[in-house]
Amino acid sequence: MLKQEQNDLLTQTGPGMPGGRLFRSYWLPALLAEELPENECPPVRVKLLSERLLAFRDTQGRYGLIDEFCAHRGVSLWFGRNEEGGLRCPYHGWKYDVTGQCLEVPSEPVESGFCNKIKLKSYPLIKIGPVLWTYMGPKERTPPHPEFEFARVPDANCFTSKRLQECNWLQAMEGGIDSSHVSWLHRGALDSDPLFKGARGNRYNFGDARPVFEVVEHPGGLYIGARRNAENGHYYWRITPWVMPCFTMIPPRGNHPVHGHFWVPIDDENCWAWSFDYQPTRALTGDEVTAMRAGKGIHVTYVPGGFRPAANKDNDYLIDRAAQKAGRTYSGVDGIAMQDASLQESMGPVVDRTKENLVSTDNGIIMARHRMLRAIKALMEKDVTPPGVDPAHHRVRSAAVVLPPDQAFKDAAREALTVREGLAHASV
Amino acid sequence: MASESARATSAAEQRYRIDAPNSQPRTVKVIALDAAAERVVKRIARRPWRCATFFTSLSDDGAPRGAWSMQAWLGDVAGRAMDLVGEIASADLVVMVAAAGGSPPAASVIGEACVLNGVMTTALIVDARGHTDAALARTLAALRPYAAMLVVADGEDYIEAMLEALRA
Repeated sequence: MLKQEQNDLLTQTGPGMPGGRLFRSYWLPALLAEELPENECPPVRVKLLSERLLAFRDTQGRYGLIDEFCAHRGVSLWFGRNEEGGLRCPYHGWKYDVTGQCLEVPSEPVESGFCNKIKLKSYPLIKIGPVLWTYMGPKERTPPHPEFEFARVPDANCFTSKRLQECNWLQAMEGGIDSSHVSWLHRGALDSDPLFKGARGNRYNFGDARPVFEVVEHPGGLYIGARRNAENGHYYWRITPWVMPCFTMIPPRGNHPVHGHFWVPIDDENCWAWSFDYQPTRALTGDEVTAMRAGKGIHVTYVPGGFRPAANKDNDYLIDRAAQKAGRTYSGVDGIAMQDASLQESMGPVVDRTKENLVSTDNGIIMARHRMLRAIKALMEKDVTPPGVDPAHHRVRSAAVVLPPDQAFKDAAREALTVREGLAHASV
Repeated sequence: MASESARATSAAEQRYRIDAPNSQPRTVKVIALDAAAERVVKRIARRPWRCATFFTSLSDDGAPRGAWSMQAWLGDVAGRAMDLVGEIASADLVVMVAAAGGSPPAASVIGEACVLNGVMTTALIVDARGHTDAALARTLAALRPYAAMLVVADGEDYIEAMLEALRA
């Protein structure tokens, strides 16, 4: 459990909130690059960390993320005309560049220089891999660019999607580090999902339904190891890294692509669940990409025209009680992503953690909260840069390995848990 | 036919979650396995806790003091010998605390007692930062067979955070 004030610290990420200041220390995924596919394309409304913003790509291909509303009379610039190096409000013609600087106020004499006095709040927006990233903190503290491996491999090696999740970011992220739910909620997927089935490691999952866990700190976050019995007294380890504040990776299975998530607050009651699949050493196959686009693995299908999943709370996630009873899915909800999201959204927009009863196997979650609370305190009181800002902390990998019983996974799998260019993930 | 009076959770619906206790206190026994852990556990024991009690292991030098007995493995924070079997049997969770670098022999005795009594075990290795991999591996190897959950923490403050989270 958490005290209410602790829960508020972790779940409230708007401007001026301590948790908001923590998030404003990082580069965060803001949009898929494909949402702004060409110069002068339509702008996109973006809400992040409880701020309404507008993303656009100007005539020269520069990306901008600015206050959504015109400084004149508050019109949404989403209706604006993206033309000749800026975004023009259709109401009275005020025009802004990608930094939010007003370039023209047609009703005022050019000589007056009035437009120079108008500037909308803006944040940098940069493209790395398939993602447009933003940093929403103080300019003088802008960190180095992110170096997460999925965003650094060739385009053909990676597939990235995002979906709206209608709950606070923390309860979504905690699902990503809660390894003990996998044996229950997702048990049907290992031998049916095309992006999971067939791996040798799956049989260890089936053969040992009571994994034990080890949680180890690393400079940027945690490693959470789930241990199952393998042959000859060895252990099968599935190791999940968490990088502060909201990046997780799922241990790989066989030669399937490796996947992971970002959980980015939209506001305190919604978040973006980013999902990526990649292979460091090869392009994804056509079949793999087709399966991902069809909502297999950790991806979903959508309500047409946006990023809301087709299975959502308004249709009870298309729950199939017959499939539940027959064991085709454990909860009756189809697909790993929506199996997670349905339960996490069912907790309510912000789960009341004063009512929860955690158990020993929840230590990964307990430690993650502890790390974040500690980081918020250090940031607020001593201006200490939080873990996960340093790009060295981004260069982690998940791993699935078989180790002798006397070896600590963090040491025995040290290389496997670090990005090694040109080498595939350690996977069983 | 849908006849439910409440649909999927919304912010408005969340207000109707029943506000009543949904659990009874769990008995948590926290046992320091070595001298370094003992200092930490004794400090934490001074705080008020709902249902956590704190113990020291009397076998820090590698062998039980005096004649061998189950009692000789456990003491309270004042140094009095305690009944290991009785304490374990009345626990819902046993938390073993060890400093990185050691290989505490009490882990096996306490762990076996937990297994025999069907008691959940968690092991915490504190102050791991600064220790060599080999030293940490030694402690891990001593604890791993007896811990259903094993946590390696850089500092000491995690013990209190964990106990609070577990409603201890």
